[in-house]
Amino acid sequence: MFSELMNIYRHPASRRKWLTIASGLFITVALVAWYGFGLAAPWAPLMTIAAVLAGYDIALRAWGALRLRQLSIELLVIVAAVGALFIDNHWESAAVTFLFMLGAWLETRTMSRTRGALTALIDAAPVTATVLRGGERVEVAAHEVALGETVLVRAGERLPVDGEVIEGTAAVNEASITGEPIPAEKAPGSKVFAGTLAENGLLHLRATGVGGDTTLARIITRVEEAQEAKAPAQRMIESFGRWYTPAVFVMAVVSYIVTRNVELALTLLVVSCPGALVISTPVSVVAGIGRAARAGILIKGGEHLENAGRINTLALDKTGTLTEGQPRLAEIVALAGQSKADVLLWAAIAETGSSHPLGRPIIEAARKQGRLPTADALEEIAGMGLIARHDGHEIAVGSHRLFDHLKIDFNAEARDGIARLHGLGHTVVIVARNGEVVGLLGLADMPRASARPMIDRLHTLGVNRVVMLTGDQRPAAEAIARAVGVDEVHAAMMPADKLDRIRAMRAEGLRVAMVGDGINDAPALAAADISIAMGAGGSDIAIETADIALMTDDLGKIAEAMEISRATLANMRQNLVISVLTVIGLLFGVYTGSIHMAGGMLVHQLSVLIVILNGMRLLRVPKAARTRAVAAKAERVAA
Amino acid sequence: MTNVTTRTTLRSDELSCPSCVPKIENALLALPGVTKAEVKFASGRIDVEHDPALSDVAALVKSIARTGYTARASAF
Repeated sequence: MFSELMNIYRHPASRRKWLTIASGLFITVALVAWYGFGLAAPWAPLMTIAAVLAGYDIALRAWGALRLRQLSIELLVIVAAVGALFIDNHWESAAVTFLFMLGAWLETRTMSRTRGALTALIDAAPVTATVLRGGERVEVAAHEVALGETVLVRAGERLPVDGEVIEGTAAVNEASITGEPIPAEKAPGSKVFAGTLAENGLLHLRATGVGGDTTLARIITRVEEAQEAKAPAQRMIESFGRWYTPAVFVMAVVSYIVTRNVELALTLLVVSCPGALVISTPVSVVAGIGRAARAGILIKGGEHLENAGRINTLALDKTGTLTEGQPRLAEIVALAGQSKADVLLWAAIAETGSSHPLGRPIIEAARKQGRLPTADALEEIAGMGLIARHDGHEIAVGSHRLFDHLKIDFNAEARDGIARLHGLGHTVVIVARNGEVVGLLGLADMPRASARPMIDRLHTLGVNRVVMLTGDQRPAAEAIARAVGVDEVHAAMMPADKLDRIRAMRAEGLRVAMVGDGINDAPALAAADISIAMGAGGSDIAIETADIALMTDDLGKIAEAMEISRATLANMRQNLVISVLTVIGLLFGVYTGSIHMAGGMLVHQLSVLIVILNGMRLLRVPKAARTRAVAAKAERVAA
Repeated sequence: MTNVTTRTTLRSDELSCPSCVPKIENALLALPGVTKAEVKFASGRIDVEHDPALSDVAALVKSIARTGYTARASAF
């Protein structure tokens, strides 16, 4: 019993909790006795006990700070509480100390919930690992695994290290790194990350990163640095907070000297902590960045969060961002009375002899429609195309140049078809059989299915100009732009042109975010207000250089990052308004005599709580995003 | 093995007002062998450079507890 009490006493958080509860009980008893039974006698002693109980811990902390030569908030509160006892205001003294403790306890709890987004990530990394040493399974601390050692991961376990699979297969849930809830299939040779979850199977890994040198640890460190990196508004508030407390202290002394009103002076001491004001912006920033990190979006600090929240123009590349980055067979045109299936088959027979990137989609499409026979003879004419012999026929497949070379003429029908496909932005592959043009294949880099919804979301958010900057030719760029809803297209751009374009848009007064891969877009990324790197999960460079790094290349994350930034910026402004109004209101109330000590403490602590709770709203996944996630899941299940 | 400085990361999620930052930092710096102490309010992370022979991790945790906050050692 006694040792249990000692345990509670030694643990600061539980000590404070019990002191607060005890103090509250005494206050309640005193109130019931007075208002319920009209007993005046127990009032003063009960309230004094309540004040001493709650004040004990405050005094302890005030003393601790004083020994380190620091003027703390606790000291001011305790001076006010003791002062109130001396002027026989027992109720005020008890209420002030109790409310201070209760408020601090609630604030701690809510604040740690706000930090909770990251705690989940930190806890994702297991503490121990099973390694194979001399053929034996040994359990060791996760950070003591040596590089190159073999680590065993069973179904249902989290991976303790970064590594490469050397044996076994498993579905690994990488949500802690990428925010992507659908597990990824891992087989020998796959890279895996510490903190991810093996949902089935048994994996043998070769450890390549351990402890602080894992992707998860780097992400956590980055996120924490980001949370500390102060937003401009925050820096201003902090310098204000630094002189606020001493200023109110001086005001208390001056007010006492002028008015000789002890209560007024003590009340000023009580409200001298600029609590809500100093935590108003950090709370929003921590919650916003934490919320983003959970979705696989790394926002590199309060400043970037503020900037991203003001973005109204988004520039992005076409290839690999809006499109899949790989050509696909988009259209087959059959000529000279042939069927589409035959045209594709003949083209594919010839393409089996080629390693050209345009060959692969043709072969894939042909395999889907049936068996693909091999050619009897094949000849590749570099830079032009292929000539194949099959079943006694000669098949020629390639560009315009091949047919000029073979002196095969195009009739009007073929020429129209070629012009039409070019107009659509397709790369045209021409197919001829025995010297006659029989068909055309249009190949194009297809827009990603997620591109259009992402751009629609950006538009609803108020990012009114979505601009495509691409090195590709105009017809291809415009075809994609039309398909996905881009507002503005700049085609045939060199990296330097992209840089100039970004500068020009900024000169127009637009706030520009640039999405890129971080390497060949580097100058344009640097010139933008905010740079966003996609698919940064595997690349440290992208994590290091971009203002916002998206762990996956899921386009929806761009819109989500913008949504979170905007919500955070709005949240920060609300918190600032709440806390500034509180400070003004409190000072006004104190001087007009409408707020006394207990009331002052109540309003002050309430304002702090409201600010934290408001910040916590950011942690919730917005309803719209949740419905989207559910819909996406259903789609995958159906497919 | 004298004067070997190590870096220890502690975490506390009880920091609710930035005024505790200098308090904890000063309490840690008052310990023998502690050369650097940095408290980060937003993330609740406490980075300490110290000589474990003079002040070990338990001593760091205890000195933070005396200022009224619970902290625990963390791998990163």
